[in-house]
Amino acid sequence: MTNMPTEASAVKTFLLFVLFMFLAVVVIALAIVLGEKGTWYFAWLVGTVMIVLIAAAGGALLDTQDEQAEAECDRGHETH
Amino acid sequence: MIDPTVVDLSRTQFAVTVLYHFLFVPLTLGLSFLLAAMETVYVVTGKVIYKQMAQFWGKLFMINFALGVATGLTMEFEFGTNWSFYSGFVGDIFGAPLAIEGLMAFFMESTFVGLMIFGWDRLRKGQHLAVTYLVALGSNLSALWILIANGFMQDPRGAVFDPTTMRMQLTSFTQLIFSPDAQAKFVHTSIAGYVTAALFVAGVSAWYMLRKRHLELARRSFRMAVLFGVLATMGVITLGDALGFVGAHAQPTKLAAMEGLWKSESAPMAWNVIAFPSQQAQKNVGVIQIPYVLSLLATHSLYGTVPGMLELEKRAARRIQNGIPAIEALQTLSKHPRDAAAMAQFKAHEKDLGFGFLLQRYAPNVATATPVQIRQAARDAIPEVSVVFWSFRIMVGLGLAMLAFFVLGVIYTMRNVVQDRPWFLKTAVWMIPIPFIACEMGWLVAEVGRQPWTVFEILPTWMSASTHSVGYLVFSLIGFVLLYTVFIIIEMYLMVRAIRQGPESHGSGGGHRNVTTTHGGLPRPTLALQPSSSALQRSNREE
Repeated sequence: MTNMPTEASAVKTFLLFVLFMFLAVVVIALAIVLGEKGTWYFAWLVGTVMIVLIAAAGGALLDTQDEQAEAECDRGHETH
Repeated sequence: MIDPTVVDLSRTQFAVTVLYHFLFVPLTLGLSFLLAAMETVYVVTGKVIYKQMAQFWGKLFMINFALGVATGLTMEFEFGTNWSFYSGFVGDIFGAPLAIEGLMAFFMESTFVGLMIFGWDRLRKGQHLAVTYLVALGSNLSALWILIANGFMQDPRGAVFDPTTMRMQLTSFTQLIFSPDAQAKFVHTSIAGYVTAALFVAGVSAWYMLRKRHLELARRSFRMAVLFGVLATMGVITLGDALGFVGAHAQPTKLAAMEGLWKSESAPMAWNVIAFPSQQAQKNVGVIQIPYVLSLLATHSLYGTVPGMLELEKRAARRIQNGIPAIEALQTLSKHPRDAAAMAQFKAHEKDLGFGFLLQRYAPNVATATPVQIRQAARDAIPEVSVVFWSFRIMVGLGLAMLAFFVLGVIYTMRNVVQDRPWFLKTAVWMIPIPFIACEMGWLVAEVGRQPWTVFEILPTWMSASTHSVGYLVFSLIGFVLLYTVFIIIEMYLMVRAIRQGPESHGSGGGHRNVTTTHGGLPRPTLALQPSSSALQRSNREE
């Protein structure tokens, strides 16, 4: 009985593995078909992901810039 | 024969409903992915400000989405009510993508949009993010199927005319969905939506920054929007070029009209920056040209050429003459479907059947058509040049202006000095209508440029309409204009009210944190709600 959580965890991991492998195969197949027949559709998929991620990274970078600026200000106050 | 006034009124009515509807569509297409980007940062960093951003812009998205749906539904009915011959003629092809749009994309976005808005407290963060991406995907897939249907009208592929049923029949679904025109048009339109949403978010954020309100939300939204916008604008220009390149082969009359090219020229062709085309005189006046550029734009080569409209008109006249036997064979086949000689005659001339239909407008009995009637019909093969020419230039000019805006916006926001540039923030606010105008112009280029066809070189517009009375169309046109104007007013009112209210209505302080910049351009946060930066960081983290 003590093995149950481990077994359940293993089954869950296996199912996740199967799911992700399935998704990977679907994505590869989609990329092949779209790359071959629908180059602009493929470009849209890749381009949209890139645009979203770069915009998201830009937002996150602003937080980092703010934190750096705060740190510099704090250092400035300490030296005075 | 259908009364030409009825055809013109049917066209006007469809144009009005589409142009109204298209005021809502681009924002939905783009804002959904921008929301997904904001929520992605929230899920990855756990900072609550990004959740507030997603909720606030999500509220504006919903206002726009609801009115977009309301204005879009009528158009599918219009195909049946106002364009019944067209619907019967190409329904087997045109109906398939529209049905898929309704069953797959529209159901998908409509289902998940409810979860997106009301599921913040019911779904885990990752689940909600997945829902937001599905809304964005659903919205854009909806546009995909509509534009596949439209792509068929621009460059009909994957279908043949069946002379026994007198209708077009689908022969290849693959050719239909992978049509180069549909592909380029979808990506161009979808990314134009991204540009629209980016400028909308940047403009509203700039308005907040000018008034020193909701600075936490506004600075981040502005940063994300201009990055989103600069990449999208580069994409929309690239795809615009691709669409023009595809169009040069598929719809030479549209390309010639877009460029105001009456006479064929030898390479390298000059590009008309400014011209005033005269449809009557078939020439341009007040022309300003740049040498070599048209060859590069239209053919991607200095040695390439495209035919002018006068040459295309001559080609149309030849095809009209070749279409006459096709019409005659069709008339025989309608009475004697098994007539082998008529079928053979039809097969020999079927590629010019549409041009025969063009002639029927002037000569219902094509066998007795005069050279004058053939010339009249051939002249119809050229779209309204000045509308296409200037819509195209306005669209391109606005696109370049938006690119310049976004590039400058990226420079300012990455250097964190955008708040020190009030002139730029004011410009951003005034720029909000620009992408909407550009989208409308793009639609005009696409649809007016396709004339005189509903299905290019297959079915003329003059015979596609329903046989309504003029009174009925005038009445329904006025009704649509009034109703849709009310929709626009409601949208504007709700949007302005939501923007004025800001994100407070969602609670959590609405991202209040005033930030002023120092001489170095770096921000010095002055906290309105929290006493220290560490407290701020704590408050910014939800979990």
